[in-house]
Amino acid sequence: MLSIKNLNVAINGQQILKNLNLEIKAGEVQAIMGPNGTGKSTLASTLAGKEAYEVLSGEVKFNGKDLLEMSPDERAREGVFLAFQYPVEIPGVSVTNFMKAALNAKRRHFGLDPIEAKDFLKLMKDKMALVEIKKEMMSRSLNEGFSGGEKKRNEIFQMAMLEPSLCILDETDSGLDIDALRIVANGINKLRDKDRSFLVITHYQRLLTYIVPDVVHVMFGGKIVKSGGKDLALELEEKGYDWIKEEVAAEA
Amino acid sequence: MSFADKIVSEFELAAKNLNGEKESSLFAMRKEALSSFQKLGIPSNRHEEWRYTNIKTQLPETLSVLSGNASIVEKNGFNNFKEIKATRLVFFNGVFSKELSSIIEQTGVTVGSLKEHLHHNKPVTEKYFGVLVKKYEEHFSVLNTAFATDGAFVHIMKGVTAEFPVFIIHLYNSPENFTQTRNLIVAEESSKLNVIVDFQNLGSASFYNHVSEVFVGKNADVNVTKLQTATANTTAVHTLEADVERDAKFTCTTISLEAKLIRNTTNVRLSGENSEAHLNGLYYAKGTSLIDNHILVDHLVPNCQSNQLYKGILDEEGTGVFNGKIFVKQDAQKTNAFQSSKAILLSDEASINSKPQLEIFADDVKCSHGAAIGQLSDDEIFYLLARGIHKADAKSILTYAFASQIIETIAIDELKVYLDNKLKERLHLDF
Ligand SMILES: Nc1ncnc2c1ncn2[C@@H]1O[C@H](COP(=O)(O)OP(=O)(O)OP(=O)(O)O)[C@@H](O)[C@H]1O
Ligand SMILES: [Mg+2]
Repeated sequence: MLSIKNLNVAINGQQILKNLNLEIKAGEVQAIMGPNGTGKSTLASTLAGKEAYEVLSGEVKFNGKDLLEMSPDERAREGVFLAFQYPVEIPGVSVTNFMKAALNAKRRHFGLDPIEAKDFLKLMKDKMALVEIKKEMMSRSLNEGFSGGEKKRNEIFQMAMLEPSLCILDETDSGLDIDALRIVANGINKLRDKDRSFLVITHYQRLLTYIVPDVVHVMFGGKIVKSGGKDLALELEEKGYDWIKEEVAAEA
Repeated sequence: MSFADKIVSEFELAAKNLNGEKESSLFAMRKEALSSFQKLGIPSNRHEEWRYTNIKTQLPETLSVLSGNASIVEKNGFNNFKEIKATRLVFFNGVFSKELSSIIEQTGVTVGSLKEHLHHNKPVTEKYFGVLVKKYEEHFSVLNTAFATDGAFVHIMKGVTAEFPVFIIHLYNSPENFTQTRNLIVAEESSKLNVIVDFQNLGSASFYNHVSEVFVGKNADVNVTKLQTATANTTAVHTLEADVERDAKFTCTTISLEAKLIRNTTNVRLSGENSEAHLNGLYYAKGTSLIDNHILVDHLVPNCQSNQLYKGILDEEGTGVFNGKIFVKQDAQKTNAFQSSKAILLSDEASINSKPQLEIFADDVKCSHGAAIGQLSDDEIFYLLARGIHKADAKSILTYAFASQIIETIAIDELKVYLDNKLKERLHLDF
């Protein structure tokens, strides 16, 4: 599904990602943990195609295609979805209109007609139920005045609507209360599928007790320094990152 | 002979056919207005208020200011907004069309052709007609007083709430004329009125000079929405003069989505204590359009409130002009005046000249103004791209969002829907 080889990325002339390698197969859930500022969101934004992130070298293949060659919107239509760490507020654009535009852009991309109004409403209803979002939310301006938790739920709702094949979740669990975390995690679990992969960026082991990952990576200094099974997350929760930093220092 | 001289000679020509009318106070007023116009002339861009809008070069000197041809417009030859239940007054090249109009009768609400009322309703028209134009005496408003013979007359009696909006539709299709149209709107004490004034160009090109005088009596509530949404290839000067009395409220929304050149002058006098004015505007200049909004809110007495909220979208080689004046006279203590002008530039060739102008002579006032000119936010665009929306659509959606804040303020739901659709159409949006 996704294959990243020796990826080097800079922002404002400062290199953040350093020879990063990552392979995700279809149907897998992989988690990335790591201290603040190590480049997790940089990786997510680079995959989504944010312009400010300058790819110095390296290769990213998505379903065999060169992802870095594609524009951000093309990537999204092809099935890459980034649930943002900080979703922006867009006054004046309702969630409904926004979703309709996004869904129809994707449909057009695959040669389909715009969705019928009643099918759209039905789809919205089903997906709202998935993450337990209230109907009133849909006519409000996108993310405007949404609480931190509501924004995150809304991201997962959008993901459910667009049915991407690669879901990148950047700290979707941050800011969620205990109930909301369970609801969102359940929603994500329902979207798990043999053809859909997840890259879950998180600071907390808790999310990973709900969404059990196949692989857990530790990112440090712009690269992946350790990978393991789901127990690695538990170990990090207990011990923090110092022992990893020491391991890295010892190797250097 | 200059254009201004030609206009004066046309006045003399028209006066010949007046016979008995020549003795009337109305004619005296017209003559006085003409002599003011003779002093002022057609402004060039050397005139401060016309610096960015070179109207002089846009009015062919062959135009006639006398009434245009009286050719017939078909019932379905224009948009009559039938989805909106309202009293409808339709004018064609400045002449009232009884056939195309439809009036819902209500006691205390008098509407019709200004021409008729100037002759048969003198107690009202003599009290109000031309009074506000004389306050600021501007080039085109005095020209209009000198020549305009017809337009809408709306009079709401004391204590009456007009049950339905009054929808005034001005149609133009006379490329040889600089058509002069005039509305007179009088809302007596404690009355309530919603007016929509729509301007439609039915011809290849049209030129007109429109004036509306609006009197908002004590404790009255008047809401005027001006539509310039079917005005491609239109060169027009609009002047709206309003006077707002004690405890009264005046709301005016000006929506300009199409034009060759449109100048909107909106002069509001807060002349009674505790009155308020809310002036909203949305303009969209694309191609080589120029849309100019000149606003003056004149705080003459204490304890009044005013808001100006204008948004502009400038695309391709479109040009916008915003000049928002707030005058606070010496007596006008405890004034609360606010102004916001925002514009977005969608292309490198688009431009906006934005100028707030505050002249404050009282010391205990709250005045604030903000002007922002910018592009769409990259972060917002990226959010839409990240959901698969094409870049051009993402920009249209965000532009729509920027503009819809003004449309949201429209009081009549069906009108809001119309404008929402019109805006989407202009932006090629289909959700
Ligand atoms: N626009 C920018 N200009 C300069 N440096 C930046 C810019 N954006 C991000 N960085 C830097 O890049 C580094 C990596 O940031 P990134 O957001 O990827 O970290 P992260 O691992 O997601 O951290 P967190 O866990 O706090 O979300 C940080 O040191 C950050 O300050
Ligand atoms: Mg981050």
